[in-house]
Amino acid sequence: MNFSLIEILAAGSATLAVLMCGITSLKAQLQALACQTALFAGICVLVGIQQHAEHFLILALVIFLLKAIGIPLFLGWSSQRMGIQRDTGVTLNPGITLMMGFGALLAGYFLTPQFAVQSAGNPICAGISLALLFIGMLLMITRRLAISQVVGFLVMENGIFLYGLTQTHGMPHLVEMAAIFEVLIAVLIAGLVIFRINRSFEHIDVSKMRTLRH
Amino acid sequence: MNNYLLLLFNLINLIFIPLLLMGVIRKVKALMQNRIGSPILQPFYDLAKFLRKSETISQTASWVFLWNPLIGLGVAVIAVLLVPWAGPLLPPSWAPATNFLLIIYLLSLGKFFAMLSAMDTGSAFGGIGASREATISMLAEPALIIGLGALALGNGSTDLLTIFSNPSNPFIAGLVGAALVILALAELSRIPVDDPTTHLELTMVHEAMILENSGPNLALTEYAVALRSCLFFGLAMQTLMHIAPGFYQLELFPRYIISLAGLLGLGALVAVAEGVMVKLKWRSVPNFLAFGTVLSLLAALIAVWPK
Repeated sequence: MNFSLIEILAAGSATLAVLMCGITSLKAQLQALACQTALFAGICVLVGIQQHAEHFLILALVIFLLKAIGIPLFLGWSSQRMGIQRDTGVTLNPGITLMMGFGALLAGYFLTPQFAVQSAGNPICAGISLALLFIGMLLMITRRLAISQVVGFLVMENGIFLYGLTQTHGMPHLVEMAAIFEVLIAVLIAGLVIFRINRSFEHIDVSKMRTLRH
Repeated sequence: MNNYLLLLFNLINLIFIPLLLMGVIRKVKALMQNRIGSPILQPFYDLAKFLRKSETISQTASWVFLWNPLIGLGVAVIAVLLVPWAGPLLPPSWAPATNFLLIIYLLSLGKFFAMLSAMDTGSAFGGIGASREATISMLAEPALIIGLGALALGNGSTDLLTIFSNPSNPFIAGLVGAALVILALAELSRIPVDDPTTHLELTMVHEAMILENSGPNLALTEYAVALRSCLFFGLAMQTLMHIAPGFYQLELFPRYIISLAGLLGLGALVAVAEGVMVKLKWRSVPNFLAFGTVLSLLAALIAVWPK
């Protein structure tokens, strides 16, 4: 019953990820993503304090500035320029997607023993990072707009980051930074591509792009 | 001894607090809409007025319609007396009577008779309202049981008195509290699930059910609804209070006062939310309730997560 602060923050991020499955307003979803990433920055600081390594603090700062503030602002700005406010699922309504998000968390819970690193001593975070991977995938599958699929990709990336942070004894500084900048570049490129798609097709609805012939 | 005095004080308060809560909600909602609104004590005047009026009863109505307000009020009074919605006032030996499943079933019994009486009058709206109410409660009840069950798992007891006398995990308490607020909005037929002030045939739920009630019958029904609001908001408030670890260590009396203030505050907050939100389409109501269910499920999952 007594969870450590890291575990509570991770559980909070999992809660936000599950709730993101049911949110259809793009703005609210980006806010949830920002809050979730800010929680990861908090986890990063706590891990740094635990392992007495100050480069984690720099990492947390970079995460907070780039991933929690920069990327959601960029995505919000571009969706505003394209005039998109709401995204509904293609095949599933938000209520069922919410339940499936909880199912993903349940899968993470049952797969915890297989994926947790024993020496790291933090099995809960392993389960939650797996669940975040599944939820990110679910978001990418069920969402119709290209911009929501970028959000799903970022949730997946957060899951991988949490796994690396809590199940290893600290990744090399350079690797973490490189991963963050790679994500940043990927999101920027995705944003530019979505702009191009919007200009050529006048919508970014991927369900209507089955036939990309002209 | 002090506790028994407080219990007596609470019994007297039971007459005033529910109606005051309704008055506060109405007043804040009026202020949100830039109206002056009726006075805070208006529900008291309304009740007195309804009790003096004579009653019109549909020709097809049977004993169910006549007895429904008494059954509803009786069930609500028993539930309000048992549930520690204003802090654990009852002596600890009463704990087995406050089992949360018993409370949920008591409330369902009241709702069952409300639906029967709505269909009893032969009015078409009664049938619509009863059908919608049944749908909403069918969606809300599992979430309620799972949410309170998560709290029970955390405390090792299904008795609400024991649950609210002991500390809970703040994270679980937060999730369940949020779920309870969502479910309270649905169970009490408030915006965004139902608009309690509308009389538009296509959208009303609770109002459609009590359309045929008049006079003392309506007065008792309204009072029972006020009692149920008190119970649901009080439960949500007690759960949310457990986020602050120092709360359960307080003496009973300050706790009681804080609870009442919190109850009225939550009512005002709900009124503000009603001011800025719109009613959902009937088709989107299950999606709204799914948030409550998922929050409850998450709380339950965290409660069983092994260390």
